[in-house]
Amino acid sequence: MDTMSYLGQGFGVALSPYNLVTALCGTLIGTVVGLLPGLGPINGVALLIPIAFALGLPPESALILLAAVYLGCEYGGRISSILLNIPGEASTVMTTLDGYPMARQGLAGVALSLSAWSSFIGAFIATCGMVLFAPLLAKWAIAFGPAEYFVLMVFAIVCLGGMAGDKPLKTFIAALIGLFLSAVGIDANSGVYRFTGDSVHLADGIQFVVLVLGLFSISEILLLLEKTHHGHQAVKATGRMLFNLKEAASVFTVNIRCGLLGFIMGVLPGAGATLASAVAYMTEKRIAGASGKFGKGDARGLAAPETAIGASCCGALVPMLTLGVPGSGTTAVMIGALTLYNITPGPLLFEQQPDIVWGLIASLFIANIMLVILNIPMIRIFTRILAVPNWALVPVIAIITAIGVYAVHATTFDLFLMVGIGIMGYILRKLDFPLSPILLGFILGGLMEQNLRRALSISNGELGILWSSPISLSVWVLTACMLTLPLLRIWRRRALQRRAMADA
Amino acid sequence: MILQRIFALVLLAVCIALAVMAWPYQAAFSYEPVGPRAYPLLMLGLMGLGLLYLVFRPTPIVHKDDEPALDRPTLIKIAACVGLLIVFAATFESLGFIVSAILIGLPMARLYGGRWLHSAIVVVAMSIFLYWLFDRVMDVPLPLGLLSVLEN
Repeated sequence: MDTMSYLGQGFGVALSPYNLVTALCGTLIGTVVGLLPGLGPINGVALLIPIAFALGLPPESALILLAAVYLGCEYGGRISSILLNIPGEASTVMTTLDGYPMARQGLAGVALSLSAWSSFIGAFIATCGMVLFAPLLAKWAIAFGPAEYFVLMVFAIVCLGGMAGDKPLKTFIAALIGLFLSAVGIDANSGVYRFTGDSVHLADGIQFVVLVLGLFSISEILLLLEKTHHGHQAVKATGRMLFNLKEAASVFTVNIRCGLLGFIMGVLPGAGATLASAVAYMTEKRIAGASGKFGKGDARGLAAPETAIGASCCGALVPMLTLGVPGSGTTAVMIGALTLYNITPGPLLFEQQPDIVWGLIASLFIANIMLVILNIPMIRIFTRILAVPNWALVPVIAIITAIGVYAVHATTFDLFLMVGIGIMGYILRKLDFPLSPILLGFILGGLMEQNLRRALSISNGELGILWSSPISLSVWVLTACMLTLPLLRIWRRRALQRRAMADA
Repeated sequence: MILQRIFALVLLAVCIALAVMAWPYQAAFSYEPVGPRAYPLLMLGLMGLGLLYLVFRPTPIVHKDDEPALDRPTLIKIAACVGLLIVFAATFESLGFIVSAILIGLPMARLYGGRWLHSAIVVVAMSIFLYWLFDRVMDVPLPLGLLSVLEN
């Protein structure tokens, strides 16, 4: 039971007063950030990276802070989707379907606490899964050579497209943009300056924080200009704040089912919280059948997506920690943070720095409990934050974003670059390109190139090494399946359409 | 549709230009079979193929219900906002954080529909507060610029 003792050690790290305060601050900041329109978990975590670094936090505290912010953001997004019917981000769309009707029925407090509870159970199941499987996966991953890693990364990228559903081509193009951008700067192997245009500032590449904040914050600021609303009228959260035992019991089986589902979806690269919540909601709706009043304020319809989101968020940490391959935008940002601290996630992390890994896992438990507790006294204050009008909010977001970017290198070049990337992000968004594949591609790009070159150095240029081992061969087969998935889906949709045409 | 085609063509042109730029990248001394040129060219090539497909078969853009159509006033506003951000970047060091933040924050708040007085109060207070928070409390150095005379 090595794992258990490691977990105990992890709790020791996470329960130290300093880290507890860090986690508390993180959940508070995260909740506020997640509440505000225009800021989601990706920006929230990215903004805090340079600040955590400047504060001189030790690596495990910094990671705990970022994880707490991440969970807090998810929770904040929940508040705006339940009370305002405005999903803070794509994954909480499903929450609005039953959460908002519940709030309208005067059960706002119950809906919020129940969603926090569901998310906690989801995270709990996923964390248990992580405790069980991550060390196994890490042990197995040590057998991976550069060729296997390269193939695995190709798989991760292809997965994104295969899972993204309706726009695989645009997802691929976005991922390729990210993969390409990672090549900007000095090439570590040969010392050749690539695509720098003789600018000193680009010599060590595009800074990750600049890319994230440009793509997400600046483009969001520009998007907010289109909608000229002046704050929102939230549903008043009055009456009972906490769900009762009967309500909790009625959704318990839903929680367990969706937790397992969410964990599996989270581990798969590219699937992530959005897909997990949608699949969970649809499945539960089908299981409930006619007895449910899904869409009209059914507690199960609220619990299902929330459990799945909580579980998939933690599940996404598994490939990140064991393989060093992020599966979602937010985990990509966390890898960026880890590299700032000179920590390379991967199989060896479990052996070399168990404090960090298990401390992080333990702090996920703690942050989740904190969110459930915080919910009760703080909800009135949080709802008041929702009423902040855009004109006061946006300049502050712009200024804080600029501070975050400036904090990395203290050059104004990065600020210009951020604006440029922001315009690009805005155009891409208007043309319906997904943005998080760019991030994922950017993080994977450097690793992918290095592993490809290393593999080919081993074989002296022989391409055969890329599919010689059984592991890489099976990953190639999976990749091929993933590639055909969107084609199959398109083909089926066309067939359905044709049948509809024939019927009409 | 037409916008998407134009975008794909422009990006394709950028890809080709970058590929031309990458062509001469060669290591002076090479110890490995794959040089610094292969990977970017591979990515650009794949991207080019995807974009070519997009030029001929653009995918329809799904509009959300709450997304208003882009009209002239919105475009002007967006251009103004971008302009303000560029001014912010340009004056960040020379004028200092507080002054430049107030300089761009005020028009930006107006752009989003705030009133002069309200915007001024919020922006000025927030600029000073954020400077104090980040520079003094959190050790993120920010330039003082014009206001450095006030120091000590």
